[in-house]
Amino acid sequence: MRAYGVPIAANPRPRNRPARYVLAVIIGVVVLLVIAGNSLLDYVFIDTIPGRATLYGLVAVALIAVGTYIQARAFNRDPVTRRRHLIRAGVLLGLAAMLWLLVSDLFLFAQSAGPGVAAVCALACVPTTAFGLWVVRRIDRNEKEPWRLVLVAAAWGAVVATSLVIWAETFWDEVAVNTLVPGPGLDASNAFSAGLFEELGKGVAVLLLFLVMRHEFDDVVDGIVYGAAVGLGFNFMETITYMTNLYAIFNPEGSGGIAAGFQWYARQVLGLFMGHATYTALVGAGIGIARQLPSRRQKVIAILTGFVVAIAAHFSWDAWLTFFPIETSLFGLVEVHLRTIVMTGPFTAGVIVLLVIGLRNESRALYDQLRKEAAVGAGAVLPAEVDILASPWRRFGERLRALDKAGVGAYVRLARLQTAQLDLAMERWHRERQEIDTPLEAEQELRGEILTLRRQAAF
Amino acid sequence: MAVGAGDPVRTLYRALLAYGAFGILILVAGVAEYVHFEPFTTSATLHAKVVGVYAYDPAGKQTSGADRERFARNEDFAAVVDWSGLPDNITVEAVWFDSFENIVGSVGPGTPSRLRDQTIVPAEAPKGLKYHLPGQYIFAIERLDNGGRPVEVIGRRVVYVER
Repeated sequence: MRAYGVPIAANPRPRNRPARYVLAVIIGVVVLLVIAGNSLLDYVFIDTIPGRATLYGLVAVALIAVGTYIQARAFNRDPVTRRRHLIRAGVLLGLAAMLWLLVSDLFLFAQSAGPGVAAVCALACVPTTAFGLWVVRRIDRNEKEPWRLVLVAAAWGAVVATSLVIWAETFWDEVAVNTLVPGPGLDASNAFSAGLFEELGKGVAVLLLFLVMRHEFDDVVDGIVYGAAVGLGFNFMETITYMTNLYAIFNPEGSGGIAAGFQWYARQVLGLFMGHATYTALVGAGIGIARQLPSRRQKVIAILTGFVVAIAAHFSWDAWLTFFPIETSLFGLVEVHLRTIVMTGPFTAGVIVLLVIGLRNESRALYDQLRKEAAVGAGAVLPAEVDILASPWRRFGERLRALDKAGVGAYVRLARLQTAQLDLAMERWHRERQEIDTPLEAEQELRGEILTLRRQAAF
Repeated sequence: MAVGAGDPVRTLYRALLAYGAFGILILVAGVAEYVHFEPFTTSATLHAKVVGVYAYDPAGKQTSGADRERFARNEDFAAVVDWSGLPDNITVEAVWFDSFENIVGSVGPGTPSRLRDQTIVPAEAPKGLKYHLPGQYIFAIERLDNGGRPVEVIGRRVVYVER
């Protein structure tokens, strides 16, 4: 490998689709079959209103699947056809969202608390979940993931993952309730069910992103970002369900608002980053680490380990929650916080440790690659830019200087240039590690794009 | 390319494996907990008879009507147990669990002969609430071990309280 030169192509496959797409298609088909099976079984055997809703919701799930695919692939097309595909995807996703909300409101939430309460609960969760997604995306300080993929991940968590687990959990619950001794044994059984099915349902989203959007899935940091986004989406839908359910239960007692409000605080404030976001971030961390491992065996071990840790973390909360009872006195408020910190805190801390190591690795690698690219002399990265590009704060400072000198347009143009330069450094990093399958020509194209952006950004 | 000693991904991989070991410990602890509370020492021949679940009048302490599976939130209900078919060398308890798994009514523990006069087991609204919680209620007749730990459900009924 030539130091300070353009590295050779590691594993170029310019024409054929990588084998991982086949795996992604198989997983996608399995997911659709499971959802279809879920809905049909719910409809036939449970015959409840939510059961019917999941059947009607199939149309929404299918629209989301097709819309997401078109949207994700649109960015690999030329700018002229990209716009057309994005519009198509937008229409499909919009229709799916409307249909799903209609189904959910009318049949699921309206059933327990009424559409008005469901709407208020959903609106209460929007700002907190949006804040969570913003924070999660911001922590990837070197190369932020595109909003479209972060939102797709969150939408999967909210709509697809929740649909995936309905039948499996219902079936498990029915068997357990009719066979086990109520108490800790039953709690443990239900916790295994929740941990296993919910983490699998959410984790599939991260796995599909890893398989299909490899160029936007660089390392452990990206895995944590996508995983946490899926978890935040799941938490969004689960919070609405719990809020409306508890409102319906306690409203006749005159305390429906308090019960729903407490759920909102526990899940959207206290547990925003410490519940589902942490669990699925652990799945994402495993997949992100697998992204950079050389052997298939190590990749499989890393992915499975991520799932095992996430399932264990989820299980421990559901199974052992009752060992930390909350008093009904004022001290109960302190206990609620302590319980969350003690039970979920260690797992969140574990995610943070992996994130910090990942960010440090990424920063060092990018600095190294920026330096090497500057030494090539192709003009994509200038020697004077290396230190600036390697520091998020200095990059921001440069953009502010552009804003001050030439306005918002200059700020945006410089931001695009910096992003493209970091993309190039990231691509070089992967190529040097021989963990990329795009052809070397793509890197050359990126250099050309950077030179164009540099001319546009000049002020 | 192998993960070399100097590769920073190696640190992440090892950290993840350590987390995985911790995760497996948790899951093993979960299985142990499950086995402890669900021991595989059940006596398949022992069955308590739940006669039915009926509307209940708390004032008269009497049940009425037909055996039902669904009740309204403001409706009182109780299970009726026939203790006569059980041997007297066991300790049993009849318990109502609400949809949050809180105990909302019970009879026992005791030997079947001691519980002979307590055939009606009403489900009560949770403390501080006027109505029953909606959802699935489990009525379980449990066999207890010498330490008073439920080891087996020898009779069971599930009813639903409507919203």
